[in-house]
Amino acid sequence: MEYSQAEILQTVRMTEMEHLDIRTVTLGLSLRDCVTDSIETTAQRVREKIERVASRLVSTVDEIGDEIGIRVANKRIAVTPVSILTEGARGNPVDLGRAIDEAAGSVGVDFVGGYSALVHKGFTRNESEFLDSIPEALASTERLCSSINAATTRAGINMDAVARVGRLIKDAAERTRDRGGLACAKFVCFANAVEDNPFMAGAFHGIGEPEAVLNVGVSGPGVVNHAVQHAEKNLPLQELAELIKKLSFKLARAGELVGREAARRLDLPFGIIDLSLAPTPVPGDSVANIIEGMGFERAGTHGTTAALALLTDAVKRGGAMASNSVGGMSGAFIPVSEDAGMIEAARLGALSLEKLEAWTSVCSVGIDMVAVPGSTSAETIAAIIADEMAIGVMNNKTTAVRIIPVPGRDVGEMVEFGGLLGSSPIMALNPFSSDQFIRRGGRIPAPVQSLRN
Amino acid sequence: MANEELIYRITRAIYDRLGSSANENTVEQLVTDIYRAVEPSVVNNGTRPSQATTSARGSFAEASTSEGSSNRIVISVFGVDHPGIVAGVAEILSDAQCSIIDINQTVVQGKFAMVIIADAARAQSSVADLKNRLRSEGEKLGVHIYAQREDLFYAMHRI
Repeated sequence: MEYSQAEILQTVRMTEMEHLDIRTVTLGLSLRDCVTDSIETTAQRVREKIERVASRLVSTVDEIGDEIGIRVANKRIAVTPVSILTEGARGNPVDLGRAIDEAAGSVGVDFVGGYSALVHKGFTRNESEFLDSIPEALASTERLCSSINAATTRAGINMDAVARVGRLIKDAAERTRDRGGLACAKFVCFANAVEDNPFMAGAFHGIGEPEAVLNVGVSGPGVVNHAVQHAEKNLPLQELAELIKKLSFKLARAGELVGREAARRLDLPFGIIDLSLAPTPVPGDSVANIIEGMGFERAGTHGTTAALALLTDAVKRGGAMASNSVGGMSGAFIPVSEDAGMIEAARLGALSLEKLEAWTSVCSVGIDMVAVPGSTSAETIAAIIADEMAIGVMNNKTTAVRIIPVPGRDVGEMVEFGGLLGSSPIMALNPFSSDQFIRRGGRIPAPVQSLRN
Repeated sequence: MANEELIYRITRAIYDRLGSSANENTVEQLVTDIYRAVEPSVVNNGTRPSQATTSARGSFAEASTSEGSSNRIVISVFGVDHPGIVAGVAEILSDAQCSIIDINQTVVQGKFAMVIIADAARAQSSVADLKNRLRSEGEKLGVHIYAQREDLFYAMHRI
């Protein structure tokens, strides 16, 4: 037989028992040709374009997943940052957000990303107004996701944007008070945002991207977790890295197969595969459990930054070998509420916000799906974001914050977001103020690129 | 791996000449002999009548393992052993005009495991239909049947 029984069994076990899936096939779609001087007509054209280009997306991708025998969990769309589409147009940008949301609903995708603005150096007049519209847009739509790029390594950190993001997160939480501040789960603040990220909530179709493109987000914490848990307890770390690298290769190859087939059938160019390990609340499908499997009592304790560094690097190595089209984030996500192991670690006090921040320096994105007390000030949220932006900017990597100040809840209580967004304990923050620093505003200069220590 | 299409054509040609009353064993031997005689030239010329769209990839021997085939399905069956599992799965494949290219079956301590590689190039029904039928047959037989495209295995297990 061309494949050994062990190989066939491994694939079946991965897809059927260890939750190996293609986490998302995301259509990146330029909406720049829909721009008019009125948001109302732009919205019509946007709706028509999304419905036309994405009409077969969901059915085709599902069909391929079924044929090949690997589940494609989510089908999504990422569009041109909406702030670019509203530049110079009369009307309310929220109307455009609603039109995108409705079009996404009518083609059957579960999230659409791109209610975004790139303001790492400063705001245009339009972008400034656009930022104010984000809380309402998120609270009044179902599928729409929003993001801001507030910093880059080349521009530094726009602290005026960071301060405003702190306020808009508070506003968005308040507007969705009855749902645990759910709107904040659909908003990400980035440093060094990538233009081809297929994962939500931070996906948008960057301005350097083609007309339309298919990007694929592969996942598989369950597969890596199974291997790490079943590895010999005294296996040296370089061999553990080798094991993860080999699995990551297989995950990436499976993702590329699905992505290329989907691109072919939909007659679209294939973009990238992003092989981030993205956990789900399903038991075992957890990045925290992988870390624990390496030899820790709980994720978040001392040494786990080193373990996460090993994990993300091994994932990248395997992926880079598997495909020439690796892009997006490609590493490991650490969203607290979406990972059963993280939830447990946070509940037991093993995982703190400070440790999450440290982890950020060695994995994709950062403080992700973290619930904090509703009483947290906008300035404190901005300060948390500023820390994350600094890690990204200084280390030449993407970092991001998705934080939810849950109205009316305090440390130790749980909040339930439902579905893939999971549930989370409210995490404790440093009680001392950062207000004065945030109120200064302005810009933190871009870092020196030599003298690197 | 045998060239299904070629064998089929040789068999048809022999029956056309000898008539349908020809001795089955003789025909089988003739087919084997002729196939063996022409096989080297088929491989060298890169002629692949059954997969014209991929003929540019080179010889059949190479192409069959070069990227896996989207026409082939790997069917894995696991469960508690009892009579009729192989027959049940084979019947569905036969109904769907899928030929079995390779089959590997073991029973260890009452646990049944079988892997079939089937060619669905001439299948009458869609892959989705076939999978549904295998799924419901699995439920009837009390075993797990998974059907996945061969190129998935190639992608995951070959560099």
